[in-house]
Amino acid sequence: MIDERHQEAAALYALDLLEGAERTAFETALTSDRALRRLVAQLRETSADVALLASPAEPSAFLRERILADIADRSPTSADHTIPFRLPFWAGWAVASCFIVATGYFVGVNFNTRSQFNALRENERLARIEAKAFSNQLEAERLISRRQIDSLRLAQADIAELKNQNALADLKIDSLASLVANTPDARAIAVWNPHTQEGVLTVAKLPALADGKDYQLWVVDPQYPIPVDGGVFQVDPVTGEARVTFKPNKPVATVAKFAVSLERKGGVPKAEGTMMLLSY
Amino acid sequence: MDADRPHFMSSPAAIIPPDEEKNAVDAQILQRVAAGDHSALGELYDRFSRPLFSAALRILNNAAEAEDVLHDVFVTLWDKASDFESSKGHAFSWALTLTRNRAIDRLRSRKRRSEILTQALPADLGYDEAADAKLDSAGNLWLKEKAAAVRTAVATLPADQREALELAYFGGLTQQQIAEKLSEPLGTIKARIRRALFKLRDVLTPQL
Repeated sequence: MIDERHQEAAALYALDLLEGAERTAFETALTSDRALRRLVAQLRETSADVALLASPAEPSAFLRERILADIADRSPTSADHTIPFRLPFWAGWAVASCFIVATGYFVGVNFNTRSQFNALRENERLARIEAKAFSNQLEAERLISRRQIDSLRLAQADIAELKNQNALADLKIDSLASLVANTPDARAIAVWNPHTQEGVLTVAKLPALADGKDYQLWVVDPQYPIPVDGGVFQVDPVTGEARVTFKPNKPVATVAKFAVSLERKGGVPKAEGTMMLLSY
Repeated sequence: MDADRPHFMSSPAAIIPPDEEKNAVDAQILQRVAAGDHSALGELYDRFSRPLFSAALRILNNAAEAEDVLHDVFVTLWDKASDFESSKGHAFSWALTLTRNRAIDRLRSRKRRSEILTQALPADLGYDEAADAKLDSAGNLWLKEKAAAVRTAVATLPADQREALELAYFGGLTQQQIAEKLSEPLGTIKARIRRALFKLRDVLTPQL
């Protein structure tokens, strides 16, 4: 029994009035309903009869010849000219077998793919954990390095301090006294840093220099036969004071004494004039 | 031959073939067409051309266009005759359906469709009795009798059903367009078409 809804659809379908989803749905229903197909065939025949309501009319006499002329050189698409294709009786079983094999194959592929996917996910998880651990380790090492750098800086500071203290310990401080009777109060203090090969000389109450004269400092080092030139200097003509930084013109290994002599202007390579002051 | 069926003997001088016999002959001719028999197509043309042309003309309201449609239909019949399966329908119905579809396709491609429809849908069926009288051969007498039977059956339909059916068949309109043209709900139009076509089937099937 065909329900009214399908009867209505069949009538509309027979008149080609069904469209879109309605048509698709009805054609789907047709494939599985033999009675519906029979009804559609009947209604198509009936609807074709409706054409006979048209007033009889006759085409022009030339149309027949025109049509026959047009098909004169054409061959119809005859069923005799085509090779009918019939499926062998075992085709259904073959298709079913192929389907089963294909299903098995794809199930296997699916299983393998899932396994690989799960393995990849596990690997990814482990890699994440490892990366996290590595990151933590890097952070820890960074902190340790920072501490080590800070410690190193402190150590460097300590070393510098120690070196400074050591340098102070190595400083040589000498007092120089007058060797000239008419200037008995003349004094000097020389401070020598062997590491920097520099020193500071402070003098007081030396006689004012005459024109063309300079005082010259000498550093007595036993490795040299004559004292090493420490440079010339002038004093305040009123107070006889001076404070000069000196740097000998040769490397000095050991300072035995300092001496100051009165030399001609600009100094001399070897002491010639009066020896004014000497370490004591 | 079914003894219960009328033989449409409208003229004592003419032998009018009953439906089944006529359909069988049509199918045989179509088989010859499929085999490449050019003369068979000429025979088919002689049997089908008038009703097909009439239907195309009714739809298109233009003789030249109707002839173009007829030309296309017969060329298609020549090309596709081997596709026809007599177990699924009659050759004549198949040709009518081809003709209607081609004509409606052409109609829908025209912009002056509404004008054509107005002209093509007179209040009555627009049947030309004078032209009908020209039919005289046995095949044409069968056609005349069949057309008369269809007209009689359609005349028994309520006017609203007849109108909806004619618009559906000849108008080339969609369901919605028919509903709009008749100012009726879509469901009403669907029901009218269903009732009309089922009634025609019930009336025509035992008779023809």
